[in-house]
Amino acid sequence: MKILIADDSRVMRQIVIRTLRQAGHAGHELIEAENGREAVEKVRSEAPDLVLSDWNMPEMTGIDALDTLRASGSTVPFGFVTSEGSDEMRARAAASGAAFLISKPFTPEAFDEALTGVFASMG
Amino acid sequence: MTALAPELAQQDLETLVAQVWSTYVLDEGPLPAPPASWTSATPCWSSAVSVTGAWHGMIAVDLAQDAAVALTRAMLAMEDDEEPAAEDLVDAVGEVANMVGGNVKALVPGPSGLSLPVVGQSPLAAPSDLAPSLCLDLTWNGHPLRVRVLTGAGSSAGSAVEPSTAPRQEMLP
Repeated sequence: MKILIADDSRVMRQIVIRTLRQAGHAGHELIEAENGREAVEKVRSEAPDLVLSDWNMPEMTGIDALDTLRASGSTVPFGFVTSEGSDEMRARAAASGAAFLISKPFTPEAFDEALTGVFASMG
Repeated sequence: MTALAPELAQQDLETLVAQVWSTYVLDEGPLPAPPASWTSATPCWSSAVSVTGAWHGMIAVDLAQDAAVALTRAMLAMEDDEEPAAEDLVDAVGEVANMVGGNVKALVPGPSGLSLPVVGQSPLAAPSDLAPSLCLDLTWNGHPLRVRVLTGAGSSAGSAVEPSTAPRQEMLP
């Protein structure tokens, strides 16, 4: 699997990568983006199997990136990893087609549960 | 009057900070400390995010220099003798405010927006339309750590740190 991690924080991208490993999901090819616009570009150029994206980013937010991707016909599985886990944000993410929302601070178990569900649905 | 939501109490802040530490620092979380442990002469890093909308306020995290360095090392899994780059300190300290602020946002009335973090090397001052609501003085590894929540009076207009599309911002004195 190829996973795109989008977050404007390098520290958080490193923590997501470490948590993926701790969750038993080592061995995937990982690519990174620093904002939503770069994430959209890399979905088009790199064709990842899954996007893990922050919500609040400069240039383009994660929700705008998801809306842009869906509007262009992309069906890439897209999950949020964000400090904002309110019901309102979860509903908005789901309405835009997100597969899940993991709120920060997160645990390896939360990652495993979310990714296992996505990978199962991919067959 | 935009009042602090009754759901948000000192205990909520303590819990949020403890969750961040237990998740990313893998260490005993900060402990309550008397305010005297923090002085204006303490070298520090400070980061803040603002919440704007149905609830209007600012959440700031002030860390002593040594605590900020230790936190950055822990978040980046660096060795004890590695010196974090300034950009990594800005990133790590900003991310802590982002996490605490994002979770505070989930506890107060919405809808509202969360700004990107602003980071500086002295306690970030609040604009005049915000007043202190909560202040949590903690100690971690012997170093002072302060979490402040400031809320606005009047309408929800205006902002402490305007939601921005600019990159994570470093404000140095």
